[in-house]
Amino acid sequence: MKRVAGAVALLAALVLALTTAGVAGGARSGGQATGQRAAATQLTVWVGWSARELGVFNKVAAEYDKAHPDVTVKVVGSINDQKIVAAIRAGTAPDVVSSFNSYNVGVYCGTGGWIDLTSYLEQSKISVSQFPPATQYYTQYGGKRCALPLLADTYGLYYNKALFAKAGIASPPKTIAELTADAKKLTVRNPDGSLKVVGFDPFIGFYENVPERWVTAFGGKWNDAQGHAILASQPGWTKWLTWMKSLIDWYGYNNLVRFQAGLGDEFSASNAFEAGKVAMNLDGEWRVAFIQAEHPTLDYGTAPMPTNDPSLYGSGYINGTIIGIPKNGKHTAQAWDLVKYLTTNDHALAELSNGLRNVPSTTASTHSKELTPDAHFATFLKVFANPKSSTSPIMASGVSYTNAVQSFVTKWQAGSVKNLASALKTLDSQLDAQVKQAGGGVP
Amino acid sequence: MQVAQEAASAAVGSGERRRARRRGAWRRRRLVLLLMSPWLVGFSVFFGYPLVMSAYLSLNHYDLLSPPRWVGLANYRYLFTVDPQTWTAVKNTLWLIAVMVPLQVLFAFGIALLLARARAGVGVFRTIFYLPALAPPVAATLGFVYILNPATGPVNTILSHLGIQGPLWFQDPAWSKPSLVALGLWGIGNTMIIFLAAVLDVPRQLYESAEIDGAGPLQRLRWVTLPTISPVILFAVILGVIQGLQYFTQAYVAAGVAAGQASQAADVTAVSLGYPQDSTLFYPVLLYQHGFTDFQMGYASAMAVLLLAVSFAVTLVIVVNSRRWVHVGVAR
Amino acid sequence: MAAVEVAAPLVRRRPPARVRRQRLLIAVANHSLLIAAAIAFVAPFIFITLTALMTNDQALSSHLWPHPFAWHNFISVFTKAPLWRWTLNTLEYSVLATIGVVLSSVPVAYALARLRWRGRQVAFMVVLVALMLPPQVTVVPLYVMWAKFHPFGFNFIGTLWPVIIPNWFGDAFSIFLLRQFFLTIPEEYMDAARVDGCGELRILMTVVVRLVKPAIAAVALFSFLYTFNDFFLPLLYTGESAHHWVLSIGLSEFRSLHQVQWNLTMAATLLVMAPVIVLFFLAQRAFVEGVTLTGVKG
Repeated sequence: MKRVAGAVALLAALVLALTTAGVAGGARSGGQATGQRAAATQLTVWVGWSARELGVFNKVAAEYDKAHPDVTVKVVGSINDQKIVAAIRAGTAPDVVSSFNSYNVGVYCGTGGWIDLTSYLEQSKISVSQFPPATQYYTQYGGKRCALPLLADTYGLYYNKALFAKAGIASPPKTIAELTADAKKLTVRNPDGSLKVVGFDPFIGFYENVPERWVTAFGGKWNDAQGHAILASQPGWTKWLTWMKSLIDWYGYNNLVRFQAGLGDEFSASNAFEAGKVAMNLDGEWRVAFIQAEHPTLDYGTAPMPTNDPSLYGSGYINGTIIGIPKNGKHTAQAWDLVKYLTTNDHALAELSNGLRNVPSTTASTHSKELTPDAHFATFLKVFANPKSSTSPIMASGVSYTNAVQSFVTKWQAGSVKNLASALKTLDSQLDAQVKQAGGGVP
Repeated sequence: MQVAQEAASAAVGSGERRRARRRGAWRRRRLVLLLMSPWLVGFSVFFGYPLVMSAYLSLNHYDLLSPPRWVGLANYRYLFTVDPQTWTAVKNTLWLIAVMVPLQVLFAFGIALLLARARAGVGVFRTIFYLPALAPPVAATLGFVYILNPATGPVNTILSHLGIQGPLWFQDPAWSKPSLVALGLWGIGNTMIIFLAAVLDVPRQLYESAEIDGAGPLQRLRWVTLPTISPVILFAVILGVIQGLQYFTQAYVAAGVAAGQASQAADVTAVSLGYPQDSTLFYPVLLYQHGFTDFQMGYASAMAVLLLAVSFAVTLVIVVNSRRWVHVGVAR
Repeated sequence: MAAVEVAAPLVRRRPPARVRRQRLLIAVANHSLLIAAAIAFVAPFIFITLTALMTNDQALSSHLWPHPFAWHNFISVFTKAPLWRWTLNTLEYSVLATIGVVLSSVPVAYALARLRWRGRQVAFMVVLVALMLPPQVTVVPLYVMWAKFHPFGFNFIGTLWPVIIPNWFGDAFSIFLLRQFFLTIPEEYMDAARVDGCGELRILMTVVVRLVKPAIAAVALFSFLYTFNDFFLPLLYTGESAHHWVLSIGLSEFRSLHQVQWNLTMAATLLVMAPVIVLFFLAQRAFVEGVTLTGVKG
């Protein structure tokens, strides 16, 4: 008994010692850093990138570091919105935060979690007109601009030229009808009926397929001027949903699910498009860099997404990384300098764009001479510049808004929804109630 | 004189005794307080206070980024009449309890019976049946999602060799909950060991006297074994129900992995919760989503209050009902 | 004349062949069922192990047997993810929590079982109630409390302390179990010690604790197991702070930055299962006794 007690006490002491050493060590190292460079403030920057992409951002951060001896920039990668909100809530937020998409701007601006940058912009004499209108829209809410765009993402069609040649298709489809025909021609089935190669997978939830990236091709709008959801009254939505389901049914819903279960992960080297399992795919402009790194010999092309209305061709969906300053930060002035540099400096934006193959987010930087030209990438620059390109709605309930729509669409594509028109009306009222609930009002 | 003295000393004596008794009682109370103090503090801080706060927060709109804002019963109104996912979550949890608990008890009891009768290799079998219960839930879930992959998983591969096209398992809303039940049945080792001990503890005389009365094996099971181990059955049922009301980890991990989303920073976790099509959206999962993904802590507190009421009610029903079929204190 | 019935001595004759055959058939059926069930229980382990030994491409295909055997997967796991750090975090949580549970639950259980005081039944009922309620009921206000509590500028959210500390204030299940066991100690032992002049506390620490060693062992074992496998609470408090992840969270997030490598994930799964299984084989008797205790005394 005494032996056991002694062993347990020793083990506990060991564990406690290790943990306190960890805590103390952390505090000590922080103290050391500020001791060495007397006035160097450490700015912590949270970004969503990881692996190869994080390396690109680190390089730009290091350049800033060298040019500004009064600050040290510490970069933390693999951040997502949940982590950001959790940190702001707990009071442990860093000096600068960045998110891969704008869905939660409604929450960030509305609650003041990210501070309003309007006064800083005025002080630094930065005009927001240097950012394209779509990026301006998704970085503000309720009159407060709490974020700035840091590189943008646009979406288009990737197509496998080798498979096209084999099927005898000369050029990428421009309309939905052409897309459907080509997809059916490119599909190869196994002798037992299961899918071997899929021409085009319109399944919502597969890789980058989410409703907001599709409804732009059909000209559908989300809200009216008062912010009420209008999915039921917009013909674009019904047209898209009906088309999408008919194509899925042509493949066979269960066949498609089974096929997708055997595909590689989207961001791995076994990506279905890169591996030739999917002949055409909706994807973002960053895929160019991934293909360059993982499958440089892949024979592929890029084009704007096919649209239902020919006049919309050339436009697409825009969203992008945003960057801001959480509230209760300690070094707001220096944080602002860093944000200013990253979002408006042509050199920084060009470097980031070249390395990540993301679209530079100021109109001026899209013409920068530092951008390395790339035929595949040029498509996305054009989509970004197209005035008809659109983005997601910014609502008070944040990402739950588009998630609710996506939830509905997954049920629709599985055939669980009988009457589309009335179901869309119900969805509209649910979305409105959700926004009211998030804004704190009585549903 | 002596009588008076005796009376006086008696009076003094009883007074002293009373004081001594009071001192003893006070010392005992102090001891009890000392011994119970960790629990008293823990209960108030980590249980009592949060319960009260839950009720308070449920009447507010609170996202932790701004101070709580009073909204009265708005959260409850939204919970019961507007939120499209509430009833799905409630149904899923009730389904799980109604299906998984009986199956688990039956399965554990069945295997315990088999083991009790077995002669050879009992130790090996017991280890085999118990080991999966030791596997961490996350590890077990990951294993199962991989094994049940409809396209490349070993189970469907073997089934296809046998000429059967396996179902879509975690990818099919009709099969996702049964897959979770299968995962739950894999881990019944703990319950099985308890049943085994209880079955082995049934006194032989009871069996022998039943045999003499002409009872066959099935009747002996029904009239001897079951009543004797009924307290253990009750225990297993209560445990199963409690676990069903808290069911989170396996659903969360299975949905996230099956939805196939790489953990990249675009973070659409909320969409994968309950994958596919809300079929694995259990009440605790929905609570987590609203409270810790959607920043709606007031609303999540309303959900918590509802969960509290339901847990209370369900355990009460089981305990009250148990008096009918649980035989306590069988003569040994 | 009164007929005196003399009980015939029970002679155990060899049962007739028919009965023997019947018993043999039952035994065979019994064993077949057991073997079938055992195969079903072992199969997942086999599949997981086979996958852990495959290359990534093979793991993505429908091959059942690895060609070649990629033993180095088990080593790659450590380079792909900070498994040691996660293990350290998990041990920190489990060890500290287990010690806290034992130290704080024993006195409470003793007070509930062996001391007579007003309100004892009520307190026990409250313990039972706490046992039955899901943690989700109290989780939101607790999170808020820890988020707003910053003594000396220390942030609790993002560390494991909010998960460890409550275990030092009594755990309902352990209290319940220990109390049941305490009730079985005959009063004579304690009276003997009292006669010797021991104060109540000394009785508790010397006599009683020694008598309930198997129960304490069971409580410690279950506490350790439960905290080792815990996912929900660590997810809540350390979900966004990867430096403090425990093994369960690390495993669920084991997607090596943009890739789901199933072979490595399965290898990591095995590695995470290993310590507990090893512990089981070392302490098999304690395990089984402990589990039995909970069911029989519960």
